[in-house]
Amino acid sequence: MINFIVGKIGQYVLVLWIAVTLNFALPRLMPGNPLALLAGEEVGMLTPQQRAQLMANVGLDQPLPAQYARYLQNLLRGDLGYSFQKNKPITTILADRLPWTLLLTVTSLLISTLIGITLGAAAAWQRGARGDVGLLGFFVFLESLPAFWIGMLLVALFAVQFPIFPTFGAITPWTKLEGWALVEDIVRHLVLPLTTLTIVSVSGTFIVARYSMLAVLGEDYIVVARAKGLRERVVLFRHALRNALLPIATVFTLNLAFAFGGATVVETVFSYPGVGRLVYEAVLNRDYPVLQAAFLMITVMVVVANILADAIYPFLDPRVRHAQSRGGAQ
Amino acid sequence: MIWTALKRNPLGLIGLGLLIAMLVMAIGANWIAPYDPTKQTGKPFDPPSAAHWLGTNDIGQDILSELIYGARISLLIGILAASIALSIGTSVGLLAGYYRGAAGMVLMRLVDVVLVIPFVPLMVLLAAYLGQNLWNLIAVIGLLIWARPARVIRSQVLSLAEREYVTAARAAGARDGHILIRHILPGVLSLALAQFVLATSSSILIEASLSFLGLGDPTQKSWGTILFYAQARNAFLSGAWVWWVIPPGLMITASVLGFALLGFALEEALNPRLKARAATTTWRATAPKTVIPIQPANSKQDKDTSLANV
Repeated sequence: MINFIVGKIGQYVLVLWIAVTLNFALPRLMPGNPLALLAGEEVGMLTPQQRAQLMANVGLDQPLPAQYARYLQNLLRGDLGYSFQKNKPITTILADRLPWTLLLTVTSLLISTLIGITLGAAAAWQRGARGDVGLLGFFVFLESLPAFWIGMLLVALFAVQFPIFPTFGAITPWTKLEGWALVEDIVRHLVLPLTTLTIVSVSGTFIVARYSMLAVLGEDYIVVARAKGLRERVVLFRHALRNALLPIATVFTLNLAFAFGGATVVETVFSYPGVGRLVYEAVLNRDYPVLQAAFLMITVMVVVANILADAIYPFLDPRVRHAQSRGGAQ
Repeated sequence: MIWTALKRNPLGLIGLGLLIAMLVMAIGANWIAPYDPTKQTGKPFDPPSAAHWLGTNDIGQDILSELIYGARISLLIGILAASIALSIGTSVGLLAGYYRGAAGMVLMRLVDVVLVIPFVPLMVLLAAYLGQNLWNLIAVIGLLIWARPARVIRSQVLSLAEREYVTAARAAGARDGHILIRHILPGVLSLALAQFVLATSSSILIEASLSFLGLGDPTQKSWGTILFYAQARNAFLSGAWVWWVIPPGLMITASVLGFALLGFALEEALNPRLKARAATTTWRATAPKTVIPIQPANSKQDKDTSLANV
């Protein structure tokens, strides 16, 4: 048990360290002006004071180990640097963007998980029948669709040809909406990106749900339950689905983490003001500090979600709990 | 042996058909394409006509020709990135499966770490620093998707290393290198082939997303790059989206799907573990004739194929 926990924590610390060190090393290893790589393309527009301040803050004149120590110190204080492009501290920018990404991705995850589990269980229940093969083929097809392309088609169809939904943004600009009108406006802006993200993420859940249900259906206790003459519904919901949900729960937690950065292309298509759109803007403007910060934040989220998944799993599955306490980790 | 197994899987055959069509297009682009896609050959935003079957883009380039030449770039990136991933993945899988002591542990930890790092933001970051260049894109994709093949191949090596002929070779005094290359590698090659095909499928989709985000090589337009320009020039605000946006997306989907279907079919035919599992779990009386195995998502290890997050 102890070994297991220490190993896991070591792995996550290693992941964080790699991400942080990559961020530190990339601008310093690349050929060219490191100041430009640290500050983005705007570096030519900086005033001498800003330039001096940046130099002092990053400590480019000092030896690398000292720079590294300073970099870590800044990170620990929550200082992710400054975007000269947007003229704001990066921490502030991320804080502004994060809620929109969360709204989009968490809602999409909930919907796609619900649909994925329901259809996955249904498909597994009639394995090999026409419905199962059809669903499976359909979801493999969905998984092959580029997310941004679906988004572009939806914009063209439902925002331009038939202007039902807005084409961009998360709220209508220059209006002072309040109460229900504001909620309605936000929902109207959310529909198309949400649909896009759900279309491309549902197949992952479906495939996991179907597979884990198939595995459970092969277990002896299902055969016993059926042999006892229990009704199909009881076998499906009480014996099979409950156990099949375990791996799905893990996948859900992990998807949650990937969702933070995952919606990049979808937010780009709809100009949705989340972290993903921020990444796109940073790529176009070569705003390297913002790209780095976004990568780091997403990595932290992934690690946190992994730890959550590891912590929750034993509570969901008594077998894992017992196995771990007996020392038979993993 | 591969062919006989594939013949019985209709979806695999569809995949193979799609791929052959794509490959023919990519190889014969010079002869098939009606125009040079880099030259202005018509009016800007020209709708489809006899001269330009799929119309033209914002600067009057023929879109059909762009698509045909784009097949070269998209497939090249996909196949080369998958080759890099499989070279690393197979080597790591072989070593980690054969040396089960500290060395194997370290390698598997490395695999776990690579699987946890959110690879799309990292690819974007790396590609942005390295610059928009075909080879950078290939390297970035290849270097970040090898962990899944490594895992699959390792589990096969674990079982092969226990076989009698391996024990016999070892007893006869064969060196590790000899055993690995002559006795174990041949046993994982077919599995590696299936993984290669699946990795190509992911690579094509990842490349399309990265190119769509403006990280593609502007001088070598892939399908994703075409869509980047369509998005940047607001193709969907005019009627141009019908001929400028739909076709490249269909091409991406067809090739990703083609590789995925072929990959799943090969995996089913060649992976003994999947076969065994399929046999034991057909508990229903109506056992299916064609079972399409979808790789089990062994919890988080399969995150890297979740293309939704690209």
